[in-house]
Amino acid sequence: MRNTRIPIARIIFAICFMLILPLMLRAEEVKEYIVIRKQGAEKIAIVLDKTIAKGDRESEWAKSLDATIKGGLDYTGLFNLMPAPLNIRNTQDGTINFGAIGSVGSDIYVTGTVSKKSGAPNLDMQVYDITGKPLLNRKYTGTDKQLREIGLRFCADLVELLTGKKSVFGTKIVFVSNRTGTKEIYMCDFDGQNVEQITSTRSISLTPAVSQDGKYLAWTDYTSGGPDLYIKDLATKVTVAVRKQGVCIDPGWVPGTDECATTLSIDGDQEIYLIRPDGKLSRRLTKSKGIDVSPTFSPEGSRMAFVSTREGRPHIFIQDLKSGQVHRLTFSGNYNTQPAWSPVSDKILYSSMQKNGEINIFMINAGGSGLLQLTSGTKANEYPSWSPDGSMIVFSSNRQGKRKLFVMNSDGTNQRPLLQMDGEQQQPSWSIIK
Amino acid sequence: MTNVTPKARFLYIPALLLLGACCCDKEVVTAPPPPPPPPPAAPAAVVVAPLSDVFYDFNRSELTASTQSQLKTNATWLSANANKKVILEGHCDERGTNEYNMALGERRAQSAKEYLVNLGVDPARLKTVSFGEEKPFDSGHGEEAWAKNRRVHFVEE
Repeated sequence: MRNTRIPIARIIFAICFMLILPLMLRAEEVKEYIVIRKQGAEKIAIVLDKTIAKGDRESEWAKSLDATIKGGLDYTGLFNLMPAPLNIRNTQDGTINFGAIGSVGSDIYVTGTVSKKSGAPNLDMQVYDITGKPLLNRKYTGTDKQLREIGLRFCADLVELLTGKKSVFGTKIVFVSNRTGTKEIYMCDFDGQNVEQITSTRSISLTPAVSQDGKYLAWTDYTSGGPDLYIKDLATKVTVAVRKQGVCIDPGWVPGTDECATTLSIDGDQEIYLIRPDGKLSRRLTKSKGIDVSPTFSPEGSRMAFVSTREGRPHIFIQDLKSGQVHRLTFSGNYNTQPAWSPVSDKILYSSMQKNGEINIFMINAGGSGLLQLTSGTKANEYPSWSPDGSMIVFSSNRQGKRKLFVMNSDGTNQRPLLQMDGEQQQPSWSIIK
Repeated sequence: MTNVTPKARFLYIPALLLLGACCCDKEVVTAPPPPPPPPPAAPAAVVVAPLSDVFYDFNRSELTASTQSQLKTNATWLSANANKKVILEGHCDERGTNEYNMALGERRAQSAKEYLVNLGVDPARLKTVSFGEEKPFDSGHGEEAWAKNRRVHFVEE
């Protein structure tokens, strides 16, 4: 009896274990997946098939869409894109041979067809897993001038489907360039395409920052002879000037509000104040002897990271907006500036001037743990700004001589130039613009 | 003098005064005319050194001994040119970050202004503006250039 009891107990245990096992495996898989992603070793493998098209016009569209979708997905650094294997379609009936996808080591199959409907492109996209289960089946339409937008809309949907997160597609980067001989504000797409000049002041325009909802652009320029703040309503194109005695520099928007913070010296010392979009002063935030500059806010808008010399050299401090309590965040290095709070997490980027003269970008948790150096060995890497989804970082670097814009994944991997443009580029700020 | 009559003395004194008025920068001597031609633009005041830039240490807005000494010279110019207004432009070297340097440049201009005001210059005549690292005097990269760029530049308004 004893002998038979034990196997029954074992069987019950084994059955329970088998029931729980998939859950455990699943949890472990996700955990492992994130860890691997952080090391930058593993990407999501996708077989990206050519878009099917009938007719000359449609074939041209397909070519353009394929380039946009491949370029877009590649840009995120999330995917390992593979061409479709030759045996992807069964020769007799044209059905998809899902076995071929798994055999090349892919998890996902992406295919699409473009057709013409009343003269305009009509894109039908399908996404499958290797078992042949459809994950997405969606139509994308627009005019033939909107092909890039159509392709990128699909890219955005695919990233959201596979990662569960928002993507960089459709976002914009504002920045400063001296291309014309004077520093002006420019804007480009998330991938450096469609560069557009925003200001033509022929003075010095600096530190552009777009509000998180994409409604307002704030920047500093010297049109009046001194550094004043300007706030532009991007929908109505109306600009208001904030002219105060002394400096009026480096604005940062508070998420969930229409207010931006900026440094003024109306009271003598350089302090951070809140400004309303009509240019009126809302309230003063800091009170300390020395410089307080470069405000950036936590995603919920309740805490501000900023640069202060209140304890001597410039360091990053965090202030709770409600209680006014301040604590110092950075203790390593002795020249830490340009903080950028992640729009989706408690991670803060900043730049640090090191003993060897290099300026490099670091990441730290708002609690002070997890200090990580993201750039190294390449002169000045400055002014980090997060993509609105928190997956990427844009920054300026003079690693190739002149100051240019670069992007990297949020773990510091995949560093590459953002755009080719004359002159120098600096002070990028990444945001959603409607 | 004893043989000069009171009447002659009465004429002699105004004559001396007249001579003195003609050659105010010369010692009055009894030499007869013709007097030498008066020098062009007889200096009414002492010649003062022109306004000059003052310099700072890296990441500092405090005044060094040489900065203070130059500010005193500038204060002399300001008191000699009491009707002139001046802009104090604060500048930084290219090291460090632009936004921080914008604030630092202002502190440099502010510290120079404060010193001049303490020397008696009317603050209403002194305006400050910061250019951060946007307008270097020397576009070179190295301590020699940087030292020239960490400055407060004086401009007549």
